[in-house]
Amino acid sequence: MRKVTRSFALLPATFWIGFVCAAQLPAQDSSETPPTIAQTIDFGRDIEPLFAAHCYACHGPTTQESNYRLDVRSIALGVADLGDPPIVPGDSLNSPLIRFVSGEDDDTLMPPDGEGERLLDAQIELLRQWIEEGANWPDDEAGNKETKISTDHWSFQPLVDPPIPEIDTAIAGHFQAANEIDHFIASGLTRAGLQPSPAADRITLIRRIYLDTHGLLPTPEQVQRFTNDTTGEAWSTVVDEVLSSSHYGESWARHWLDIVRFAESTGFEVNRDRSNAWYYRDYVINSLNDDKSFRDFIVEQIAGDALGVDEATGFLVGGPFDIVKSPDINLTLMQRQDELADYVNTTSTSFLGLTVGCARCHNHKFDPILQRDYYALQAFFSGVQHGERKLTRTVSDQTRVELEENEQQLKSQEALLAELSATAPLDSSKSDSLLPSVNASMNTDSFPPVEARFVRFSINRCNQAEPCIDELEIFDDKSVNVALSSSGSVATSTGNYDGDPKHQLAHINDGKIGNEHSWISNSETNSWVQIELSNPARVERIVWGRDRQGNFADRLAIDYAISISMDGKKWQIVADSNGRQPFFIDGKEPEGAFIARLSESDAPKARKVLDEVLRLRSAIKTQGESIPTAYIGTFNENETTYRLHRGDPLAPREEVAPDVLTVMEGLGLDSSVPEQERRLKLANWIGSDSNPLTARVIVNRVWQFHFGRGIVATPSDFGVNGARPTHPELLDWLTLRFIEHGWSLKWLHRQILMSATYRQSSKPAADSLARDADCQMLWRFPPRRLEAEAIRDCILQASGKLNPQAGGPGFLLFRVDRENVHHYFPLEKFEAEQFRRMIYMTKIRQEQEDVFGVFDCPDGGQTVPNRNRSTTPLQSLNLLNSLFMLEQADSLAERLIAMTGDDPQAQIKVAYYLLLLRDPAADELAEAVSFVIKFGLANFCRAMLNANEFLFLS
Amino acid sequence: MTRYLNAGNLLNRRGFLANTMTGLSSIALAQLLSSQNLLAAGIDDALPIRPLIDPANPNAARQPHFPAAAKNVVVIFCAGACSQIDTFDYKPELIRRHGQPMPGENVVTFQGRQGALQKSPWDFKPRGESGKMVSTLVDHLGELADDICFIHSLTGKTNTHGPGEHFMSTGFTLEGFPSIGAWVTYALGSENDNLPAFVAIPDPRGRPQSSANNWGPGFLPAVFQGVDFNVTNPIRNLARPARISPENDKATRELLNRMNQRHLAQFPGDSELAARIASYELAAKMQLSVPGISDLTTEPAHVLQMYGADDTENTLKAAFARNCILARRLIENGVRFVQLFNGAYQTGGEGASNWDGHKSLKSQYDVHGPILDQPAAALLKDLKQRGLLEETLVVWCTEFGRMPTFQEGASGRDHNPAGFTAWMAGAGVKKGFTYGATDEFGYKAVEGVSTVYDFHATILHLLGLDHRRLSYYHNGIERRLTDVHGNVITDVLTSAS
Repeated sequence: MRKVTRSFALLPATFWIGFVCAAQLPAQDSSETPPTIAQTIDFGRDIEPLFAAHCYACHGPTTQESNYRLDVRSIALGVADLGDPPIVPGDSLNSPLIRFVSGEDDDTLMPPDGEGERLLDAQIELLRQWIEEGANWPDDEAGNKETKISTDHWSFQPLVDPPIPEIDTAIAGHFQAANEIDHFIASGLTRAGLQPSPAADRITLIRRIYLDTHGLLPTPEQVQRFTNDTTGEAWSTVVDEVLSSSHYGESWARHWLDIVRFAESTGFEVNRDRSNAWYYRDYVINSLNDDKSFRDFIVEQIAGDALGVDEATGFLVGGPFDIVKSPDINLTLMQRQDELADYVNTTSTSFLGLTVGCARCHNHKFDPILQRDYYALQAFFSGVQHGERKLTRTVSDQTRVELEENEQQLKSQEALLAELSATAPLDSSKSDSLLPSVNASMNTDSFPPVEARFVRFSINRCNQAEPCIDELEIFDDKSVNVALSSSGSVATSTGNYDGDPKHQLAHINDGKIGNEHSWISNSETNSWVQIELSNPARVERIVWGRDRQGNFADRLAIDYAISISMDGKKWQIVADSNGRQPFFIDGKEPEGAFIARLSESDAPKARKVLDEVLRLRSAIKTQGESIPTAYIGTFNENETTYRLHRGDPLAPREEVAPDVLTVMEGLGLDSSVPEQERRLKLANWIGSDSNPLTARVIVNRVWQFHFGRGIVATPSDFGVNGARPTHPELLDWLTLRFIEHGWSLKWLHRQILMSATYRQSSKPAADSLARDADCQMLWRFPPRRLEAEAIRDCILQASGKLNPQAGGPGFLLFRVDRENVHHYFPLEKFEAEQFRRMIYMTKIRQEQEDVFGVFDCPDGGQTVPNRNRSTTPLQSLNLLNSLFMLEQADSLAERLIAMTGDDPQAQIKVAYYLLLLRDPAADELAEAVSFVIKFGLANFCRAMLNANEFLFLS
Repeated sequence: MTRYLNAGNLLNRRGFLANTMTGLSSIALAQLLSSQNLLAAGIDDALPIRPLIDPANPNAARQPHFPAAAKNVVVIFCAGACSQIDTFDYKPELIRRHGQPMPGENVVTFQGRQGALQKSPWDFKPRGESGKMVSTLVDHLGELADDICFIHSLTGKTNTHGPGEHFMSTGFTLEGFPSIGAWVTYALGSENDNLPAFVAIPDPRGRPQSSANNWGPGFLPAVFQGVDFNVTNPIRNLARPARISPENDKATRELLNRMNQRHLAQFPGDSELAARIASYELAAKMQLSVPGISDLTTEPAHVLQMYGADDTENTLKAAFARNCILARRLIENGVRFVQLFNGAYQTGGEGASNWDGHKSLKSQYDVHGPILDQPAAALLKDLKQRGLLEETLVVWCTEFGRMPTFQEGASGRDHNPAGFTAWMAGAGVKKGFTYGATDEFGYKAVEGVSTVYDFHATILHLLGLDHRRLSYYHNGIERRLTDVHGNVITDVLTSAS
């Protein structure tokens, strides 16, 4: 294999020595812990920032006056054009640098007057101490130039087209090669001294291919068609049949969604569900079914917004996201860094099979990835944010143009409003006369007594979510609460929050306080609740709160008005939130509150702008309502990206422009490249034919999901620390042909499925098992337990309950308590909706699906390239005793009776045929018949649905 | 390869054979990968140790890396971030400066700006021979101060609950990492054959903030996850369904077993198939043993009384007390790791049903203190008097600490990861000992500053596990509970450990 030989120019060994040292001292590597007070100087903490602030302008990454730079260790500690080394480790007295910065000599003062801020004495003292201690400069901060790196690691080398090996005659006699794959596998077996297994029988084969590609059993018709097909094309026909069915995409999308950590809730503390994240799931299913070129699949997921495939960018934001925000800047910055790390890590492990995330704090310990590379990759995503976006492609051009115009206008009007707000004085004499701002526990609005039959409480806006009121009390001039339902008053509203008995309209005037007895609106804005009094009364005071027990402070009405009416038609406002001090959200006053502080002459203009802003928003909202919104991320202006010392957001170093790994050919971008273009460049680079990693990685993944194990056993790590390929030539050969076939996944599946290797029996052979227990060399088809989704789908298929409805919003298997923090409770009753394929289940982080989750079903917290397959008693308990399983056993029994009538023999035979595709042996049949007669058909079904033979793909 | 195995001292013949015989599942995958790189680099003591898991019996007891002080662990986790200021971290200077602003810049914490310094609303009293000052909020625990080893200088990396709970329970602030109980079970397996190896006992009021992530397997095999149940909520699907008679149930299992045995005969040596057969046997044993363990009617009245389980006025306290008794019974029966939660988020956030006292500390902690105090103290006493504390480590912890100030305009304390308290008691740790200190107000750790990584490293050490080496290969990284951090806090260990 040809080696990549790139520049070893400067100290190539340093990088490697660096990582070895780091690996020796794992406990010393406190990459993410804030530094504690240290006695000795720490270069990264104490010295590098001084260089960066005072010296880099002339002796740094872009300019090197006198050919001297302080951002690269070998040069900084070497000789400058001036002659003597400016830094003499261990000897500060004889280090010219100290003389320069302390200004002992005006001519050599550094930084020179007018070219930078001089160092303080304390800073010079730090420098002095650092030099005295030996100018200790750690390897992983030695600077980019110094760590110019190269690699001879296999996965970074270009693809090589290997010769097709001959099959050894000793094997050829009983192993009929179907395509090139078999030549490579047979040659591997010969080398390992192993024998291939004979071809599996047709029943085993058709069961295998359906479970493998569809995650479903073949129907009796499909089985018969294959077993009756006597042509030489029988298998080829089946392969075409499975790959052209939409069940293929439904099943294989699950693999991809695991790899990209897709789930449909935020995770973390509040774990709210994302009800419109499913667009991305459907995008993946459809892309697979359409056999979209994998290259396009890559580019769309990273930059689909540039290509009219908006839903594809659900990839970027499919991961967990901490939505609990705080005024604490440390937390906010770290949260953002964690988000960016999620984008970088998921992109690099999914497509490139590289663990770039390791370089967030320091150069990668094993792979040729610099810390700088990590931030250069991060820069591609610097404008990506979690959130929802409109799927504008789904509406007419005219609507879209109008919407865009309104959005433009809104932006400029909002900017104008902000300008006006800046002109408002900070204090207003008026503010003294205002009531205190609203608070969550209780508020009182008094006004001169007025005759009223109706009292309406209108809520324009809340601090968070839909408004909640625990009790609305209306006092008349004798201080009697006339609102109570017990006195005959009646509450109505614009709409009520659905589905939680705690929150009812009737609770607004039931005389009970607290969250447990409260009303919540169904709308976050512009809703109202009103009380029709049993008799007109002279009303003078309204008392209301969100939660008078003090447990909740969200859902608080902050922009509201109270109005009264005699006839329910003509309304008069008697109090509103303008009479109160503004309520601050995150330290900011509500929009437009500043107008109250403007002079009489300035206020009208501002009010007009505010009105326009509100009008545009409402217009956009109306227009927007016709356009679906999906959780596919939003894109802002680029943030500036810095390399962060030890990954600490409070220790930014030099600015970093977007680029790919140093070890590969750079893209030569600078920081001016706009947001979308950045992602597009990255995506095209990842998906290029010449990228040695990308195509190999996906070919290996596809191989893995067919055989249970990849040619490279570490599918998301093609780095130095990962496994070596068992069949490197096969991997390259398949990858080159895959690229030639336009990165077609279906082409690849077809090659694998057509191979004799795939069609081998799965039965163990004692010799081979002893030599190659892991079946690395594929001397048989390795059997495996089905994954959670396939188990559930097959059970539903067997019971006849599988609901084939494809695509669209998912179904939930939980009842959700949507408080600030969402709580999930497993459903106890199932409808047809919940009998759809499990790929359509709304996947909630942290909450395992009640019955099947325990079958090593990942929750989308981390990327999972290859699921564990463990065996636990909880799996057995769930499959034996859960309500779901009992219902399915009953349904299967009913189905068998409907198909065969009352004859146990016939029932059992059909059960065997449906579940195992075979006839029961005589002893099995006899045993089953006596069981069914004694214990009933449903219990027999319960046993069958738990049987290993049913749950394994062999 | 030989060297790797010897280095780990883990060559369990049976497990090793099972592994080479089957090679099933990705448990065994990549077993030897990066050790080769480390060997090549000549690094011996950094060699990862991945326990060899017998797929047919994944919970078989496994040897620790070195002789262990503790065999099992009870973690009492106070959800919501329990204030060190009001429990165990006594600060006379805070009392003197009560009502004054805290010196230094006005710190902005999770919910915003700070008001003045606030002494604890509860008095502190000297306890036992050690004279340790403990607040009257936790009088019963205070009385056990001579048995406890306090760590006052823990520091965290986040000041928000979800990540904080993840951090304390999984060693990472992010989603998706294995819980400490899963790591321990992965390393050591089980000591019983009729109960789960790792049990999480949620608070009677519901689940904590990060819910099942606290006891989840992350990327470890699901077999190592915690099984959650408490006295009132049994393991889901454990009981035989009511509509199925015992005879029917038994016959069905027997039929299933015969089906599976016949199938296994066609795949001789396949331990994944054998493991599934065995898992039904273990499930059946659990059906018999777990209800018995949760049935407290066999506990004598004086025990119920000691825990406060007979308290008819404070029913939440009584319910938590019953969970504490359950914890003891699990330890008695050889459960490796018990995680006992005090406080929940499911029934009310921000301090209503947990320790998150932002706005009204006094009234909320007056509720939570009594629920925790007597039952948790009784658990410690009971373990001690039964001799179980010799081999059991009891750990008390929380997400992070709280501020010595009240929040601006409120009567409660905001989050503070800069210095907080946890404690240990039992096997291998010093008694009546205090390690580390916060500053004069209890704000920042200043002496013996320790991280959550150090805390985890110490727990693993007490179990005979080297936190730098216990690892699992996932996505290109030898993952550890302590990431790339952590030092065992040796000062808290008894000389023997």
